[in-house]
Order: sequence, then structure tokens, then C-alpha cells
Amino acid sequence: MKREQKAKATNEFNQVVMGNSLSKDAWRRLRKNKMAVISVVIVAIYMLLAITAPILPIYSYDEIVNEHQNLLPSLTKTSGELMWDKKLSDLYTQAWRQNRLTVTDAENEILEAWVLKGQATKVWDYLLEEGNRQLAEGSFEWSAAEKRTLDNLEKKIASDIQITIQKVWQTNQETGKKINISKMAVKDLVQLYADLLGVPTEPIVTQYTYEITESVSKEIQAEVTDLSKEEYALMAEQRLSDMSGKDYDKLIKANIIAKINSTVKDMALYELKSDASQASTTYPFDKEMSITDTVSASIKAAKMHDRRYYLGTDRLGRDLMSRIIYGSQVSIAIGLIGTFTSVLIGVILGSLAGYIGGKVDYFIMRVVDIMYGLPYMLLVIIAMAIFGRNILNLFFALAIISWLTISRMVRGQIMSLKNQEFIEAARSMGASTGRIIFKHLVPNSLSVIIVFSTLRIPSFIMTESFLSFLGLGVQAPFASWGSLVGDAVGGMTLYPWRLFFPAIVMTIFLFAMNFLGDGLRDAFDPQSKNQL
Amino acid sequence: MAEATTTRQPLLTVTDLKQHFPIESGFILKRQIGAVRAVDGISFSVYPGETLGIVGESGCGKSTTIRSIAQLYKPTAGKVMFNGLDLVNASKDELLKARKDIQLIFQDPYASLNPRMTVRQIISEPLTIYSNRKMLQPEMTKEEIETRIEELMERVGLNKAFKNRYPHEFSGGQRQRIGIARALALNPKIILADEPVSALDVSIQSQILNLLNDLQKDLGLTYLFIAHDLAVIEYISTRVAVMYLGIIVELSESRDLYHNPLHPYTKALLSAAPIPDPAIERKRKRIILTGDVPSPIKEHKGCYFYERCPMRMEHCATNIPPLHQVSEGHEVACWLYE
Amino acid sequence: MSKKTTKQFDNMLEVRDLKTHFLTDAGIVKAVDGISFDLKQGETLGIVGESGCGKSVTNLSIMRLIPSPPGKIVGGEIFFEGQDILKLSESELRHIRGNMISMIFQDPMTSLNPFLKISTQMIETICIHQDISKKAALEKSIDMLNLVGIPDAKSRIHNYPHQFSGGMRQRVMIAMALSCEAKILIADEPTTALDVTIQAQILELIQKLSRQLNTSVIIITHDLGVVAGMCDNVCVMYAGKIVEKAKTEDLYAHPAHPYTFGLIQSVPRLDKAKNGRLFSIEGQPPNVIDLPPCCPFHPRCEKAMDVCRTQYPPTKNLGEHHEVSCWLYTDDQERSNG
Repeated sequence: MKREQKAKATNEFNQVVMGNSLSKDAWRRLRKNKMAVISVVIVAIYMLLAITAPILPIYSYDEIVNEHQNLLPSLTKTSGELMWDKKLSDLYTQAWRQNRLTVTDAENEILEAWVLKGQATKVWDYLLEEGNRQLAEGSFEWSAAEKRTLDNLEKKIASDIQITIQKVWQTNQETGKKINISKMAVKDLVQLYADLLGVPTEPIVTQYTYEITESVSKEIQAEVTDLSKEEYALMAEQRLSDMSGKDYDKLIKANIIAKINSTVKDMALYELKSDASQASTTYPFDKEMSITDTVSASIKAAKMHDRRYYLGTDRLGRDLMSRIIYGSQVSIAIGLIGTFTSVLIGVILGSLAGYIGGKVDYFIMRVVDIMYGLPYMLLVIIAMAIFGRNILNLFFALAIISWLTISRMVRGQIMSLKNQEFIEAARSMGASTGRIIFKHLVPNSLSVIIVFSTLRIPSFIMTESFLSFLGLGVQAPFASWGSLVGDAVGGMTLYPWRLFFPAIVMTIFLFAMNFLGDGLRDAFDPQSKNQL
Repeated sequence: MAEATTTRQPLLTVTDLKQHFPIESGFILKRQIGAVRAVDGISFSVYPGETLGIVGESGCGKSTTIRSIAQLYKPTAGKVMFNGLDLVNASKDELLKARKDIQLIFQDPYASLNPRMTVRQIISEPLTIYSNRKMLQPEMTKEEIETRIEELMERVGLNKAFKNRYPHEFSGGQRQRIGIARALALNPKIILADEPVSALDVSIQSQILNLLNDLQKDLGLTYLFIAHDLAVIEYISTRVAVMYLGIIVELSESRDLYHNPLHPYTKALLSAAPIPDPAIERKRKRIILTGDVPSPIKEHKGCYFYERCPMRMEHCATNIPPLHQVSEGHEVACWLYE
Repeated sequence: MSKKTTKQFDNMLEVRDLKTHFLTDAGIVKAVDGISFDLKQGETLGIVGESGCGKSVTNLSIMRLIPSPPGKIVGGEIFFEGQDILKLSESELRHIRGNMISMIFQDPMTSLNPFLKISTQMIETICIHQDISKKAALEKSIDMLNLVGIPDAKSRIHNYPHQFSGGMRQRVMIAMALSCEAKILIADEPTTALDVTIQAQILELIQKLSRQLNTSVIIITHDLGVVAGMCDNVCVMYAGKIVEKAKTEDLYAHPAHPYTFGLIQSVPRLDKAKNGRLFSIEGQPPNVIDLPPCCPFHPRCEKAMDVCRTQYPPTKNLGEHHEVSCWLYTDDQERSNG
């Protein structure tokens, strides 16, 4: 008892007593756990990367560059150099097969053995080195055809440029004012496009009308199946006529702008590829170019084969690093949202069952038992099949099935808490059931719920990965860690990096999550409190 | 005092209260195969301003009695009349109104406070609940509630500076004070105290007993006080009821009980209670009861104390002794005094 | 029994300046901070104090059962028959634990293994410490159960712990503790979890057996009544230190330390008339983390002087083995020097 009235919280020895809440205490203990702290940092880095992916200086995750398929990860070489090496080793291998590139018998044996074992990469690497050596020595020479191929490739690497049109403007010749074409009226846009092509406006109108009708009827076909062509056409017409003039204009505008952009791109590319400009421009650049007298555009351009792929590329020539980063977005989101939804459902149902008991408890728990009895994967697969394969449905399917464990756990926790005296105290004060559950019972089970959720996230990611691996998860062009691994399995021996990087990224995250969960459990566990 | 109590209206009257907990078996269709007879028919009255103590060993049903009166359990049978309202059959609203006047203090100062709430939240909880239901008279604003919390903390001897602390930062005695402040928040008429001092240290126990006494004097409270410690009960109570196996075996003025115990069980209890004085303690002759308390599942045909009674008679085995008055304000359930 | 019994020691157990500290997140907890006492053959010593005063830690230290980390015996000596327990190896220690010094714990529910029969547990205990056959051990166990008053011991020994009541379980624990003819029995709150009537049985049993087998007993309790009836000598502990040590009669008749005085006065007594307020020691027992160098009782002491706030008092002998640590019994010169 503190009889003396003091503003400060001091004890009888005049020592100031510091406040200390349970969560503060847990946080202090968590900070002492090195593994958990490292895990927190790792998880934070992952989250940061996933969230900031759109503004990171990385290539787009769905940009396909056909020439860049299956490029090796490299920190020093550009994609052009890698392509060159690849072509060379290709040609050397051919030459070796044609016995033009001669090696010793012993070497031959080794190479044949590699071929038999399917270790093609070793053969390529070896022959590349050997061929280059022999070429330098002069004991091997290219054939004329091969020389041509290489020359072509060299030229291509030197000249291929990739450009992006960011904005297009039209300059009004009388006032000299520049207008962004996205802000122009439909009629002016059509006129501008016609001018660019050098055709009258009528065929353009015909074209976009046709295209819009097509796309609308495709939309309808995706929504309703099993109708005759006439019915589809009728519905499309109906929908178009229902559309307000503004909405229709929007469709036209999108159509025409895309066309203008692609035309401008063509024209700019033509311009840049001309000998004069090839000599004078330095890449990469980001500047405004005038396309015609009246039209100008802000253009970003870079040498196509100057791109660097630090983690290599996949089978369609997409940057693996950017796919992994965007993949973590999907994977982590599934982990978090899935856990959140299942915890929400589980806590509500579990606490109701635990607190009210009796028939409610019996009913909820039998539902849980039955759902436990059903094969979990099968349910997810069926749900995916019924509702369609997209990410949202995947969240949904996972969440409705995975609340079972948490609801059982919360129920047990609540049942052990509900006979505590502080609950009786609340009841004797006339507290309502909702108040008792959400003000008293749930906050006291929170530590268990937090620990469980943390440990639950990895299992969600694993499930999603498994589904994606089977091809039931996220669909291209989106990626997740699981789908990346699944895609990579096909070329595992030839292109091991495609498997290795997503797998290691995923493993590190799962490890971190598990260590964090363990750390949280230790932090919340009063047994490890180390106090009297 | 006895004359005074008889003329006054009782505040709380318990009539033939029974609380049985069914033992069920069976998979889907539950079948009752027996019952734990925690409280097996007790009757008593509590008068305004007095303290009725209930004493007994663990498992005798004294805590259950309090919880049945507070309607934390639905009683199996019997009536609990409070201020003219039968709590057992009261509607939800009537019960809520009555609850304002009936508050509990619990035994375990560690378990009776929500560890996730601050002292402020704990003490204000009854006020918040009733103000949310618009049943607070007069209505209180947030500031008024805040002042009330500080007032209550001072009243029970807690430093206001610790208002935003959590219960685990307090010692046992301080927590019990928090519990008392919470019980006082709504200005109740009666406080049901379930062994409020038995988990406390000796020096703290006397502080809390003094505090409860002061509060009774200042606020005109009525207590129904439970304890297993005879000395504590004797000190705090005006009248004492001795419980054994779910029934009351003796009910009397507290002084009278110590000087003139009638029931053999009361006698054994009194002689077993150690007295902190070696001079007396060494000279005392104890009545040592043989055996343990029988299981409360058993249905009794005779006296509930028959198995352990040192004075048992043949008659006791088959006839249940009723509680009857032996002298003014002294009732006993034993065939010896028939 | 072992050959060592031939040599007689004046003191069975001598504890000298024992210090047991716990290293916790919040700071060093000096649970036991320099205590000394002796235990003679056949003597019953009581250690009294409130929760957290270090009485249980004292006894765990004697058994060297302090969980480490966080606990550590940082200083002092414990002589058992002239041998310093703190210097023994783990295997020598095992010979002493259970065999020479036995312990009874507060909670009879948790100190028996619920999955093993009583017979298995008892035979195991006996066979570890004595070189006799299982059959002989079983017979011995039955004898011990008879001794502690378990009816029908021959058949009941094959029961599981849950088939015994609380009091019976505590009897079994005592039987197990005494089955190896231990020379010292440490009873850590042996009756706190039991009812008054059962408590009386158990205390009587411990007293009878210690006389019969000439066992020395240390009783740890917070109940002054238990001490008054059982013990020859008493140590009163407060905040990790022994504040007063005396013969039981002497302590109750002339308590020297204000804390002891307060403790004895604050217990409500059945045999004394109620005269108004109970005496009570205000304030809370201190948190033993980071105690300043002062008398830890001074914030609660009515007779506190300036010197109490800065210095821990020296121990004064008041004659007849009555020792007290309080500045009240020192002369002015000592106070000014201190």
C-alpha cells in the first residue's frame, strides 16, 4: 500500500518503480534471442522488397525477350556477352561433332561420358574454352557460314535497341502549345492517327468499331458459355448500346492510343536505327524526340543486349531476379492474408465454441471434425476447380479450410480460461458474452494466437508453393516461389540456377519465419521468464 | 444484537438452495448417472449491516453457495430472495439491476484480475458496463468515471500514480485491494467475499480485514464472508454458519459459537485450529477426526457427518437431523440436541 | 543404518552465512542473504516468514536443489554432520538427499508420480538408498504406511496416487520421506494445502514420528499457530535475512523485533475477545531486487529511526539463544558508528 500521495510511482524505499506490461516484457525477451532478431531483420527485408517492387530499378517481371532465354546468372557480363558465349559454344560443339574441332582421345572420352550422363553444360563450357584456345592458336577456323552467323549476331547485339514510349504529345501548329494525347478528344485522336498513317479517317473508324465489338463479345464468352454465335452477337450489341457515350469513348480512346503508341514506337525505332543516329546517340537515354512535325514523344531507350541478369533468366527470357521479387509479393501475401483470414474465422468460431459450450460447441466441433476428415489438398483443388484458378480464389480456398486447427486451439485456451476468477468477476458484473470473449478471453489467448499465426505463415506459403508446383496455383504471367520452382524443374540439369535461386530465397524466408515463431513462443512463455 | 436482527427485514434470504452438478456419460445422448451435491439444501438470511460468515473445509460447498447466490451458476432448486426479488427466476433485466447491488471479492488475487488490463480498466469495468447499458444512476461522464476510479483507489489505500499499471506489477495484498475497489465501484449493498484473505500473508491479511471492517462501517455494507480459517471468521462475522458436505450444521452468533460449540464437527474444527501461543497450544487436547471428508456424490440417508462423528448414535445413520433452534440465535443440526 | 551414526554430532546441521542469489532480467534477487542457524538432533526448528522472504529457498539450498541458472549459492557453508554439503560432488550428494535429509513438499498432489503405483515409488526410493531386496523393501514400505496411519496398508500400497485423498497423499509422502530413516526431515509448508482437521492429523503425525525416530525436523510455514504447537526453536525471516531467532516460548512471550511482534499481534485469535481493530503492519513486503542498504523493514516499522534507513542492523544476543537484528537493541555508540 502506498499511503503517501506522490505523483511519482515510487516504492517505500523511494526507488522509482518502472512500469512494465506483459507485451513489453515479451519484446525485451525477444530482443535477447539472436536468431529471432536476425529473423525479424530478414523478414523485414523481404517485406520491404516485396512492397517496393514496382519502384525498384529492376526489369519488368513479365517482359519476354526471346533472345535472352536461359541466360546464366552473371554479375559481370552483359546479356550480349552471354549470348555471344552461348552461340560460340554452340558452334564449337557442332564443330566438334563434325570433327572439325579436334581434341585428344582422352578428352574425347571425357566429353562422351558427359554427353552420356546428360551433363551438357560441362561439354559446352569445356568446348568453349578449348575452341577459343584453338581459334587463337590458329588450329581451328570458322567456316564461311559460321562466320556470317557470328557477324550477324555481333551486329544484332550492337544494334538492337529496346524503347518504351512514355508520353506522346501533339503540338498545335498555330499556338505552339503541346497537348498530351491522352487528354485529347476522340475525334482529334482519330484524326491524329489517320495523319500519322496517311490514310483517311473512315477505315480507322471501321477498324476500331470492329475491334471493340470483338473484345466485348470475347468478354461475354468468358462470362457465359454454351451460346450460339448469333446470341453472342446479339448480347454484344445489347451491351454496346447499353453503354453510355462516355464509356464508349473511353474504349475508343484506349484503342487508338495503343495504336498511336505502337506506330510512334515503330517510327522512333526506324529513326534510331538509321546509320546517322546510330553513330551519334549514346545509350541508354531518356529524352524527348520529335517523330513528325507535329508529334513528339518522351522515349526511354536502351541497348537490348546491355541488360544484365544477376540471377539469370528463365525459359522465356524473363529476368529471374525480378520474377523472384514479384513472386515474393504473391507468396508473402498469400501467407499473410491466408493466415489472417483463417485466424479470424478460427478465433471467432473457437472462442464461441469454447465459451458458450453445450450445443454450440458440439456443433462447431463436429463440423471441424468432419472437415478434418476430408482430404485437405483435395478440397483446395476442388475449390480451385469450381471457382476458377486465380489468386483470390486461392486465398479463399486456403482460408476456408485452414481455420480448423486454430479454432481447436483457441477453444482449448478459452475453456481453460473461462473458469478463471476474473471471468467470474466479469460475469458477476453483468458483462455480456461478447465483452467477455473479446475483452477478456481473446486478449489473454493473444500470445498463443500470435505464435501460432507466425508458425502458420510458412505452412501457407508451402501449400501455395505446392499447388503452384502442381500448376494449380498462380497463373502466368504472375509468379510465386512455388511456380518458379515448378517451372524450373523441367530444365533442372541444364539450367540449375532457375531452380536454385527461388528455392534458396523461399528456404531462407521459411527458416526466418520459423525461428521468429519459436522466438515469439519463448518470449511469451512465462516458463522461460527467468524470474522468481 | 440478536433481538435487533429478528425485527429487521433480511436483505438476502436463501431458502433450501440446492446446487447439483450432473455427472453425465454417454456419447451423443447424454445420460445423467449421478450428481455432485455441492450444495444440498441450505437456508439462511442476511440482515443489512451485518456480516454472515460461512466456515467449512474445502469441498464443503461454501464457494458454490456464493456463486449460486450471485447466479453464476443456475441453482438446481431453492430460492434466493434479494430485496424482494427472487434472483433464481428473475428476468435478465431484473437480474442486471440486482447485480449492481451484489458484488463479489475473490480468493485468488492473482487469478481474479485480468492480466491484460490496467488497474484503471479493471476498476472502471463495472462502471463502463453499466454506463454502456445506460443503467448507471446518475449517468457518469468519462471524467466523472476517472475521478471515481481515483477516489476508489485512495479509499482502498492504493497510490493513484499506479493507475495505468498492470496487476502483475503489484503484490498480493495490493491486488486484493484492486479487487475490493472494483467491487465497490457500483456502490453495492452486499458484498459476497469468497475467502478474500486466505491467499494472503499474515501481515497483509490483517490489513485487508481492517479495510473490510472500515468499509462496512463507512459505507454501511453487508457482507457474506467465506473462509476456512475459524479465527478470521470469528473476528469479522456477526453470525457464523458452519458448513459440512453442502449443508449447514450449525448457525450462531460468532461469540457464542466459540464459547459454546454444539455440533461435534464444530467442536472438532475449533479444537483443530492452531492458536499462535505455545503456552496454550501445548496444553490443548485436540479432537482428532478420523478419516477424510466423504465424496459429495454420495446421497445421504442419515446425518452427513455420521462416518466421522465421534459421538454417533444408531439413530443418526438413518435420519437426517434438521437445523433447529437450541437457544436464541443458535441453531444446530444434530440429534444430540433434539 | 550407515556407519556414520556411531559418531555423534552436537549439531546435525549447521548453516553459516548462506547466500543464495538469483540472476534475473530485472536484477539480482538476493533470495537468501547471509543466514545462519543450527539444528540439533531430535530438535524441531520452525522457519516463519511471509511469501518471498526466502524460507523455501533456504531449504532448497540445503538440499542443493536450487535451479541453476538463474539461482546460485554464492556464499556460506552448510555442515551436515561436520561435512560441508556445498563442497560435495553430485554423487555424494545423492547419498545425502533422501537418505540423510528428506523433504516433504507443500502440494501432495504434484509430488507423487501419477502414473506409478505407491508401492513402485516407495520401493524405488528405498532401493536407491539402501542395499536390500525388493521384497524387503516392500515389507518396509508397508510398515511405514502403517506407521503413518494408513488403514489397510497392505492392499492400499498397490493403489495409484489419485486413489488417495489429499491428507492420505501427504501421509504417503511422509512415509516415503521417513522410509530411509532420514536424520533430518524438511517439511515445506506441509499442511498449507490441507484442511484444518487434516492439518491437525498431519502435524500430530510428524511430531509423533520425530519423537519416535529421533529425527530432526525443519518446518517451513507462514502459520504462526503451526509453529507454536510444533517447534522448539523458531527463526523469523524477512527479505532474505533472519531477523529473530529464539526458543518458541520465548519468542511468543517476548518478541523482540518489531516485525515478529507485529506478526504475532496481527493474527486474529479465537481465544481472545475481539477488541476493535486488528493490529496490522502497514505496507507491503519488499521486492528483494535491488534493496538499498538499510533495514528492509523500516518502511513498515513504527519504531524506525534514522539509522534504520541507512544501515542494516547488527545481530544482538539477548541471552538464552535469543538473537535479534534490530537497531532498537544496540547502544548509541554502535548506532553512531554504524
